[in-house]
Amino acid sequence: MNAANFLQYIASGTAYTLGVTLIALPLGLLIGLVLALVYVYGGKAGSRSMQAYSIVLRGIPPIVLLFILYFVVSGAINLSPFTAGALALGIVSSAYQMEIIRGAILSVDAGQMMAARAVGLSRLEAIRSVVLPQAFRHAIAPWSNEVAIVIKDSSLVYALGVPEVLRRAQLIGASNQNYLLAYGAAATIYFILVWLANKSLVGLEKRLAIPGSH
Amino acid sequence: MFRKFAVIISLVLAAAMLASCTQPTAPTAAPPVSAPAAVELPEKLSQAGKIVVGTSADYPPFEFLDAQGNKTGFDIELMTKLAERMGLKLEWADMPFDSLVAAVQQGKLDASISAFNYSEERDEQVDFSVPYYSSTDAFVVGKGFSGAITKPEDAAHYKIGVQSGTVQDGWLTSNLVETGLLPAENLSRYERAEQAFMDLATGRIVVVMADEVAVKAFMEQNPDLQIVFSAELSTGPMAIVVPEGDTVLKTAFDTLIKQLQSEGFVDELAEKYFK
Repeated sequence: MNAANFLQYIASGTAYTLGVTLIALPLGLLIGLVLALVYVYGGKAGSRSMQAYSIVLRGIPPIVLLFILYFVVSGAINLSPFTAGALALGIVSSAYQMEIIRGAILSVDAGQMMAARAVGLSRLEAIRSVVLPQAFRHAIAPWSNEVAIVIKDSSLVYALGVPEVLRRAQLIGASNQNYLLAYGAAATIYFILVWLANKSLVGLEKRLAIPGSH
Repeated sequence: MFRKFAVIISLVLAAAMLASCTQPTAPTAAPPVSAPAAVELPEKLSQAGKIVVGTSADYPPFEFLDAQGNKTGFDIELMTKLAERMGLKLEWADMPFDSLVAAVQQGKLDASISAFNYSEERDEQVDFSVPYYSSTDAFVVGKGFSGAITKPEDAAHYKIGVQSGTVQDGWLTSNLVETGLLPAENLSRYERAEQAFMDLATGRIVVVMADEVAVKAFMEQNPDLQIVFSAELSTGPMAIVVPEGDTVLKTAFDTLIKQLQSEGFVDELAEKYFK
């Protein structure tokens, strides 16, 4: 296999890497957002149960959850390796994203809520129009960390046989014994993806910054 | 050569005799045109018209990628032929070796061929076809090796590497570690075989135990390695993995494997890939 084919074979796994990431991240964000609201505003029962959710999911290695979802749970529902992998990573990520959003909500001054209520907004309206817009801005920086982690964790779906970047590097390495080049190519692809994601999030953070705030 | 010829002749004669016997009694039952061997298949497979077979295509010369990125190797060609005889479309699913048995167990795969050696532990989880090839274990060292391994127990004096979940792993664990000959921390298990060879090159381990055929393929690119001892310890017959209790599929594989062995096809493959 010549060098161009070699690189092309590994690089074409990027579609799977991106696919898994683009399912897992928004899924984790959606679940994480809902759960963070329950955590902060859900009273004692809400915060207790969300604490448990967070501890359990952050305590399980993602690969174990992946195996459970693909080999145990999907006996009943027939999930493809790709779907099972993306869902498992999304669920793991939801616990981390919940913590990020919760932290961001708590970083909004409590006086904001009081002021919003004082001008006549309902609690729900205050959360939606006053607290969350500020919280999201605070969340971008820590969230970019989570984005990098999910991009790299997407390589775990190789264990179920999804031909993403890492699995392709393994196969190519085994076929021509040039592991350094194969893994080097995979590492470069992950680096570029994470770098692009972080760069665009920094741009987003700047663009959305509230004028006059630090 | 003469014996093979004799076998073929007698098969043809037997077939002709059978045909002449059955023809008058059942003149309407013409044999199917395209299927040379009518084996019975599980209903699920014949309905789908295809068989999904798992392999870990990172294990030359049994299964690996060729220069075009297509799967090739001894197991790949054998399974291709078997599926052809079954009249089924063959669909490959690549998966790391560790995941294959679980995937067959859970019905994610119809079968798996990936240089599986028979072992009792695996037999409790899945079923095996009749063996299609037999192999031996090899102890491999780097070029600076000055010790000696004249019997398998001698390997316990060194740090050993092995691919996890393989029969070699099982042999080392029960014969060297559990007997106290080899301290547990001196056995390193790797997800894939070549990771063990890479650690051998860096000197983190001294000996690698692996299948001899795979070792020889690896040695073509790494001439510094040498086999110091080989024997049939953990290995032995290689077989295709089918779901536990799937006797219909097992029988189909058994019949066709024996057929291909007697036709000399398996020997040809061994000649092509193992030299």
